[in-house]
Amino acid sequence: MIWSVGDELNDVNRTIGPVDMVAYAGATWDWHRLHHDHGYAVSIGLDRPVVDGQALAAYLSSQAIDSLGPGAFIRKMEIRYRSPVFSGETIRCVGRVVAIEPQRIDLEQQVLVADRVAATSRSVVSFQV
Amino acid sequence: MPSLDPQNEFRLLTAELLTAVGREATYEAPEELGRAAIRYFALAIGDTSPRYTDPRAAKAEGFDDVVAPPTLVCETNQYMTGAPDGDGYIGHGWNLEVPGTRLIRAGNEYEFFRPVYPMDRLSVHWRLEEMTEKISKTGTAMLFVISVATYRNQDGDVLARNRETVIYQELES
Repeated sequence: MIWSVGDELNDVNRTIGPVDMVAYAGATWDWHRLHHDHGYAVSIGLDRPVVDGQALAAYLSSQAIDSLGPGAFIRKMEIRYRSPVFSGETIRCVGRVVAIEPQRIDLEQQVLVADRVAATSRSVVSFQV
Repeated sequence: MPSLDPQNEFRLLTAELLTAVGREATYEAPEELGRAAIRYFALAIGDTSPRYTDPRAAKAEGFDDVVAPPTLVCETNQYMTGAPDGDGYIGHGWNLEVPGTRLIRAGNEYEFFRPVYPMDRLSVHWRLEEMTEKISKTGTAMLFVISVATYRNQDGDVLARNRETVIYQELES
């Protein structure tokens, strides 16, 4: 595919449930109770466990590489966390091309929960490993 | 050495906290990252790309071997060798005491310098770069703490850098 500025990435929708959160905790060696222990979450005033924020960066990275195709390699990614995502919520990753240079595509992406913005990011993707 | 501006009155930032700016910590993983860790992370985020599991597919994309999903190197606590704390956390921390606040992750600025492979053994260097207090539009005091982690392998190759911002946000009294 030949990309142009303004082109949109394919949306990625995913409901993040307890199994996903436990799997991510194990895969990152990060077992903080905030991300899997309902009782702990309630004890600190939350309804439910909170999805590890950096998992959102992983989902956005995955969307970027999958969209841009073979050889895509993320060089930079700046992500800002705007609001927490809770266990059981469905995220929608959206993104678009904002700049193109030789062997390089810049992306802007967001993680949305319904109309709520959970995270925004800007990435630089190259095609030269 | 950073110091408090006497012209400003801070609600969270103290001279004692400021002494933490410039602190450093280095950790070395006891073993290579490994193929299983890469496959596990890809599985956990639902990414079925063969570049993470099939060496032939990865080589067809120009890599030397299967590669780690980008943020794995900055996310894994595999390089820690202690035991988790009472909350289940085993990762790096500065153990800052900021009473009357809650901790919020604000952002990460990742740079990836080269693909991370199963045989890379991580060495991670953390530095506390900056600490500043700001007041939100609603009048809440927020202490911004910026740290930089640099990830190298056993050969000293810089794999990635992660500039991380966390906020200690004042709780409503």
